Amino acid sequence: MKRIIQLGSLLGAFCVVFGVLLAFVYIITKPQIEFNAKKNLEDSLKEVLPKASLFKRLNINSNEAFEGKTKEETVGYILLQSPKGYSGKIEMLIGIDSKSSVSRVKILTQTETPGLGANVVSEKFLKQFIGKTVKNKLEAKKDIDAITGATISSKAVCSGVKEALQDFSKLK
Amino acid sequence: MSLWKDFSSGIIKENPVLRLMIGLCPTIATTTSAINALGMSAATAFVLIGSNLLVSIVRKIVPDEIRIPIFILIIASLVTVTDYVMYAFMPALHKSLGVFIPLIVANCIILGRSEAFAYKNPVLNSVLDGVGMSIGFTLSLTTIGIIREILGSGSVFGISFINSSFMATAMVLTPGAFMTVGFVMALLNRFEKRAQ
Repeated sequence: MKRIIQLGSLLGAFCVVFGVLLAFVYIITKPQIEFNAKKNLEDSLKEVLPKASLFKRLNINSNEAFEGKTKEETVGYILLQSPKGYSGKIEMLIGIDSKSSVSRVKILTQTETPGLGANVVSEKFLKQFIGKTVKNKLEAKKDIDAITGATISSKAVCSGVKEALQDFSKLK
Repeated sequence: MSLWKDFSSGIIKENPVLRLMIGLCPTIATTTSAINALGMSAATAFVLIGSNLLVSIVRKIVPDEIRIPIFILIIASLVTVTDYVMYAFMPALHKSLGVFIPLIVANCIILGRSEAFAYKNPVLNSVLDGVGMSIGFTLSLTTIGIIREILGSGSVFGISFINSSFMATAMVLTPGAFMTVGFVMALLNRFEKRAQ
């Protein structure tokens, strides 16, 4: 019994030491990570709606969104969706232009299976969404080609785009 | 000298990937390109040397019964540190390696060397063993990565030089990885036989 307490305490002590070390590293790297995320977002917004020069943050249906403008006018909107994929949330940006159709879809973060679900980030898959409107069905394996062996990931991206278009149409 | 032996054996004679045949999972997964292979080797080297160092330092105070949980604690902490530091200061490489960074924890080489060497040897020897194994790991991974990238994508470290229609895509997928590992192992055995 005494031995178990000894061992348990030693293990506990080690855990405390390493826990403190990890907390320390977390605090030190946090500002840089947030800065990188912000920069990644800004670059991605530009990629999704290239005509816009500045982006105004707003809320559409309690989801985060951006209004893309130039000095004169609004060129479109970008909606942020985080549908549930195969293994976690797929954070994506859906750009909608002045004609209420998809300008571009970009995946920000995902933790899908490498080589399968992770291929949803490929240009070949995402360019299928360009030009789609709220009238399209946007169903994987029907009007959208899913990725072989990654039906769930493909369906998730489809539902993200579909939801973005629906939210947008309700706004207008 | 024993120190030299501990350092040099991990490079060729007891190369972790091509001789001991451990750590094959990250080898197969991250050698799709030369730069990924190099990045993964660097991250693994940090964890391997760090864990050998820490395990050797605490080896006298860690009782036998709880040594495995302690190893795992040390390795997992080092991997988490690596993950956060890469996320903050090397975002492109971090994104490229993705989920394979946390998977360094499951790399058999690290737990293997902690158990087989660092727990029973002095600090300097353990560090040298870690460095030697890391060099061996880096050499094998980078070689395999270069081969797979040339044959599968027509480029080396991102610099293309062959038209992509000429490519064997299977090389950047798993079958190509296994074939390349096998070939490199065979080549190494051949050269060692000749040297003798």
